[in-house]
Amino acid sequence: MPRSEAGLGDRQFALAEFLKEASGADAVEITRLELLNGGAIQENWGVDVSVDGGRLAGQQRLVLRTDAATGVPSSLGRIEEFAVLEAAFAAGVTVPEPLFAGADKAVLGKPFFVMRRIAGSAAGRPITLDPALEATRPAIAERLGRELGRLQTIRPPRDDLTFLSPDPGPAGQIAEFRAYLDGHSNPRPVLEWALRWAETHLPEPLPSVLCHRDFRTGNYLVDGTRLTAILDWEFAGWGDPDEDIGWLCCKGWRFGRLDREAGGIAKRAHFYRGYEEESGRRLDPDRVRFWEIIANIRWAVIAMQQSDRYLIGGARSLSTAITGRRATECELELLMLLDPDGVVAYA
Amino acid sequence: MRDLPRSLELLALARELLLDELVPLLPPDRRRDAHLIATVMAITSREASAREGWQQEIVELVGEFYETLGSFPSAPGDEERDCLTRFAADLRNGAFETSPSRAAAARAILWRLTIEKLREGNPHFLAANGVGDANDNRPIVAASEREQ
Repeated sequence: MPRSEAGLGDRQFALAEFLKEASGADAVEITRLELLNGGAIQENWGVDVSVDGGRLAGQQRLVLRTDAATGVPSSLGRIEEFAVLEAAFAAGVTVPEPLFAGADKAVLGKPFFVMRRIAGSAAGRPITLDPALEATRPAIAERLGRELGRLQTIRPPRDDLTFLSPDPGPAGQIAEFRAYLDGHSNPRPVLEWALRWAETHLPEPLPSVLCHRDFRTGNYLVDGTRLTAILDWEFAGWGDPDEDIGWLCCKGWRFGRLDREAGGIAKRAHFYRGYEEESGRRLDPDRVRFWEIIANIRWAVIAMQQSDRYLIGGARSLSTAITGRRATECELELLMLLDPDGVVAYA
Repeated sequence: MRDLPRSLELLALARELLLDELVPLLPPDRRRDAHLIATVMAITSREASAREGWQQEIVELVGEFYETLGSFPSAPGDEERDCLTRFAADLRNGAFETSPSRAAAARAILWRLTIEKLREGNPHFLAANGVGDANDNRPIVAASEREQ
């Protein structure tokens, strides 16, 4: 069996039967099954099918998304992620069309969902560095702003999203980060210092919206010069409207173009313009800066949690094990943001 | 006693072999893994070259910092972790914020700690941020510019 089929290969029959029943088809044949790149926490499988009858009749290219061997604590389950994807799709956000969710573990041994496969690549460095995209990157940034504005039309309460926890607010997030650090073996003085700053500079609250919580370069598809889909909704939740903005502008997601502050692809102004026009809300640079500080702290904690998957969870993955070291990159950025004179004084 | 060449020299050669001759032979979807291995080799080399020197300096800096406050971070014999644990806890509580000079001294330690960690872990990121030199006079780093 080729490497690409390991894991789901022995479940192909059950999967075909599931797709047949879910789509109302007379017959479903899986013609290709491949494990796709990316997805440190989830597995994404490309599934090509030939469908006889029902709502998917014909040749279809699908993606099946299910859990990897080990996850991180804050991610949604696949059935919940499917519900978020449905809500985003209905709100007009550019996402793969969600098709079916499979909660019955008898099918694959774990929950999963199926969506349409969209053309394009999410790889960060080609998106930020490919000369062919040079002229269109500002338009992609503006489009991302519009997508975010559309996403934020989803607001609580929502009957279809009752599983989402209430917005913890920045104070709640700070408490969660500190609780994580309290249980971690290595002290992180820089993160503690930045958390203290955040605690003493909380912004005035705004009404909660649906946040993607991983809205960044690397999590959207670009096909040619076109943005074709926003991916990876596993961290979505109710939160502050500026949270995703700070996350996309966080230095950790600029992929070799640190000078382009909007996701490594453009100046902030392009991204901000798209967002402000779509949402009708003027951005406050101080609020965005606050959420960028939080973004760096959060990325540091997520990076450490990734290494925990090796250190504690037993995941035998070099990529996973080494990610924790990126926390120090976030700490440098926190120092540069909060003590800009320090780089001259101390470095 | 040990035979030559030294293990760090062999590591540098192994890394060059990996990047220069083996990576081009790999299918594109496995090249990132190979670069990851090269990065680990580089980190290993830098950490082995630096030994524990800078960590001891940080412990001493924190110790001196607390001495100027008239207190000591921990009982004699306690290790680096205890020293940084108290420093981190005091930062959480804003213990140095009432004195600008103490706050500045604490920040200086944070900068030093962070820069030293990145000199080993990712000197290219430091250089890209205008701090330090990517080559950093350490043997393996100069062997290739291709790590993350």
